[in-house]
Amino acid sequence: MTQTVKAAKKTSSSKAAAPAKAAAPAKAKAAAPSKAKATAPAKVTATPEAKKASSKKKSAMAFPFTAIVGQEEMKLSLILNIIDPRIGGVLVMGHRGTGKSTTVRALAEVLPLIPRVKDDIYNRTVEQYVEAESGKKGTPAINPEEVKTEMIPVPVVDLPLGATEDRVCGTIDIEKALTSGVKAFEPGLLAQSNRGFLYIDEVNLLDDHLVDVLLDVAASGKNVVEREGISIRHPARFVLVGSGNPEEGELRPQLLDRFGLHARIITINDVAKRVEIVKRRREYDEDPESYVKKVTRDQQKLQKKIVAAQDLLPQVTMDDKVLTDIARLCMNLGIDGHRGELTITRTAHAYAAYLGKTTVTMAHVKEVAGLCLRHRLRKDPLETVDAGEKIERELAKVLGEGEAAA
Amino acid sequence: MIAFTDIVGMDLAKQALMLLAVDPSLCGVVIPSAVGSGKSTLARAFADILPEGTPFVDLPLNVTEDRLIGGVDLEATLATGLRVVQHGVLSKAHKGVLYVDSLSLLDSSAVSHIMDAMSRGAVIVEREGLSEVHPADFMLVGTYDPSDGEVRMGLLDRVGIIVPFATQNDYRARKKIVSTVLGERNSEDTQDELRMLRGLIEAARVQLPNVSMTKEQIKGLIQTAISLGVEGNRVDIFSIRCAIASAALAQRTEVDDEDLKLAVKLVLVPRATRMPEREAAEEEMQGPDEPPPPEETEAEDEEAPADTPDADAEEEQEETPDMIEELMMEAMETELPDNILNISLASKKKAKSGSRGEALNNRRGRFVRAQEGEMKSGKVALIPTLISAAPWQATRKEEKRKKGIKTGALIINKEDVKIKKFRDKSGTLFIFMVDASGSMALNRMRQAKGAVASLLQNAYVHRDQVALISFRGKSAQVLLPPSQSVDRAKRELDVLPTGGGTPLASALFTGWETAKLARTKGISQIMFVMITDGRGNIPLQASYEPNAEKAPKEELEKEIEAIALSIQADGVASIVIDTQMNYLSRGEAPKLAQKLGGRYFYLPNAKAEQIVEAALS
Repeated sequence: MTQTVKAAKKTSSSKAAAPAKAAAPAKAKAAAPSKAKATAPAKVTATPEAKKASSKKKSAMAFPFTAIVGQEEMKLSLILNIIDPRIGGVLVMGHRGTGKSTTVRALAEVLPLIPRVKDDIYNRTVEQYVEAESGKKGTPAINPEEVKTEMIPVPVVDLPLGATEDRVCGTIDIEKALTSGVKAFEPGLLAQSNRGFLYIDEVNLLDDHLVDVLLDVAASGKNVVEREGISIRHPARFVLVGSGNPEEGELRPQLLDRFGLHARIITINDVAKRVEIVKRRREYDEDPESYVKKVTRDQQKLQKKIVAAQDLLPQVTMDDKVLTDIARLCMNLGIDGHRGELTITRTAHAYAAYLGKTTVTMAHVKEVAGLCLRHRLRKDPLETVDAGEKIERELAKVLGEGEAAA
Repeated sequence: MIAFTDIVGMDLAKQALMLLAVDPSLCGVVIPSAVGSGKSTLARAFADILPEGTPFVDLPLNVTEDRLIGGVDLEATLATGLRVVQHGVLSKAHKGVLYVDSLSLLDSSAVSHIMDAMSRGAVIVEREGLSEVHPADFMLVGTYDPSDGEVRMGLLDRVGIIVPFATQNDYRARKKIVSTVLGERNSEDTQDELRMLRGLIEAARVQLPNVSMTKEQIKGLIQTAISLGVEGNRVDIFSIRCAIASAALAQRTEVDDEDLKLAVKLVLVPRATRMPEREAAEEEMQGPDEPPPPEETEAEDEEAPADTPDADAEEEQEETPDMIEELMMEAMETELPDNILNISLASKKKAKSGSRGEALNNRRGRFVRAQEGEMKSGKVALIPTLISAAPWQATRKEEKRKKGIKTGALIINKEDVKIKKFRDKSGTLFIFMVDASGSMALNRMRQAKGAVASLLQNAYVHRDQVALISFRGKSAQVLLPPSQSVDRAKRELDVLPTGGGTPLASALFTGWETAKLARTKGISQIMFVMITDGRGNIPLQASYEPNAEKAPKEELEKEIEAIALSIQADGVASIVIDTQMNYLSRGEAPKLAQKLGGRYFYLPNAKAEQIVEAALS
């Protein structure tokens, strides 16, 4: 969804004289009428087929991931989640205008391809497909070898704040119901995001009932739709990515807890870096296409590195001693439950793999501990010590203890 | 309709709009101005200087979510039996102007949608079975009166230009405005002037790509942004575009000092979170004027020392009083014997809090689900209605045909109709009013801070909001406008001045104003939490007339009573928490509670949790 800004069906029709946006051709580009849509009827929604076709069309115009200056915490968090989606997503909170959504939307371009059953609306693997469909309601068993597959980019689905529940979970296809009386299921955003990323900008402003839905699905990995006389369950495992500005409101603790990592993002106050940001942005604005072309090699390099890390991940091991240290760190910080330990362990594995290492050391743990634990510390509004500092302090203690024992 | 060129005064606002017309990628102009300054007339006249046919959409404040982002077109869908999309207001403003009068009164969900559209240049519609992307790349022009409250920072961040607040035009200018309104202007002159202005802007647009800017100039703007403490990096692009547009408007190919100054004035200063020392600011502004140093590294070296001592001084200034305050607060806490005269409120805890903000209704708030109901009793939920009608179409048509009645594409019966249920998501606004006068101020402040924080920790559940007003000296001050954010509360309440007189009347008045403003934003339940001994000694008049510090006791009491009764009549709930240590000298606070029609709690050593319990009970 992110990268597919559908062409205007009715591009300001008679009112053609639009102001020339000299410095923002990116937006203008996305909105420019394309040949495919020009003939579509003025207002009527595209048919499901047409919809699918257009959503596959990828506009390469997002600002490139590798051209984003600074904000290493956020970038690393996203990359680690690609390497191991079980990390559980990332919450990016911080100052306005620091490139949070730009970065997440740039992610799509560096994501690797995944295989799915051909044209499957739930992006299922052959195994998932066979398990769900084989022998269903008396249909014959499916031979996995006969199932056709295709490669698709890992989906990145944008969940806008104004979405209604039926579009998130999916509902009956109203047109089919009216015209042919068939009760067909029209999949929602959860179906589209299966095995991919689900992104919510301004996540702290998301409506309560949608948060309920998300928590439910994120916990079970399944979306169950029982409404309007249809009964569907389909896999919905996604990496949840949320971003927002903490000053706009708080996040529900249950939702906060769902996010594997918590990246913090602040205004860059280094003049040289900001000059560089401005330079790249202006260059991109002037001619997005050639700018994207210019950094293609960087993008490909990163993608390759991610794929290599994914391949290496199963071979990465961790010493029991490191695990003990992680447990002690979490204990000392007073973190409830085991999600903290689990997240650090997984994230450290992914980080080691990203660096091309096959053994996780405390050095890796140290780099990711803040990301994994920051949001799990009890939040005390009168506390003056920053959560990150607290973690670092405890980490130093644990490391010191470890060395003393050895 | 008054033409752009006929409007007198507000030169900076005019200039801002012209820059936006030259470069729409500045994304918008926000004009804060007092009532009657002609800001909305000017904003509407903006259409005059845009190329002909540019959409200009006036956004009504009571716009619904459907209308804003788009949805299913009821009539057309029923007529055709196909799902027909209706574009929302945001996408209608595509390639044009979205104008909002009284921007600060727009409800927060509408603001979120505008922000989202501005960040994507499009609206994503994922509702009621629709999944569409509509282009919505518009310029936002907003006007507001700061006395109506502030505009959300997130939205201001996406707008390039914020015109510095100006209250009044001078006398002569106002006189001219009046004569213009009365129609003294020659319409031919007006047309000529407009034509000229449009030509100027057109020429500037052509010039725009030819304008260049040196690296030093860019650096100067960035450094100014940093020294003003502007949040985020997006502003850099805006300040650069503003300077370039200004140069283009003057038909220059190079950005000069005037352009830079204008960019600082229109883009950076309105977002400042701190004011740099005067010399420092001038130095930075002059930076670009000096002959450019030959090497880039040298330039950085030169700038670094100018920056560092400044930052250090800043840190020292900010941290020292903070630390002293913390120490004093801690000292006060240990001084007070624990549990003395404490009243435990735990037993009084009611389940009431759980039910707040939960009610479903037929009209207001966020669309949650569809239920059976009468067509007239609310808004029809089209898709659910169609779904319940769908299975019967064949039989109904058959029946009608038998009776010889002609039918449309669809037959909807009364029992099919589903109406939308909305959830009014606003919870309660707790307005804390803390007596910061006298010796107990620090202790009260600490209690209030704790209670604010504790309430906010649970705010997401009920969509509650908290505001904090402190009163001392001559008047009350809103320290924390209604907010849901712990982080914001933490920041705003960091350093609090204390001591001086007790302007209780001003506090009540300010609280009431805050309450009224919140009402306009759809928050219906409001509760005052007053932490005071109830002894006001400064009249309301002192808040605007510095010399009127004294007033007879009876008058003070009368004043407080009048305001308190009005607040009670207005349906605002109150509690008064008396923190007076001397049990015998009580008497004023219970009276205040009575006048407000609220409850009274005597908690000389209240813990934050107790205050919260009192507020929720």
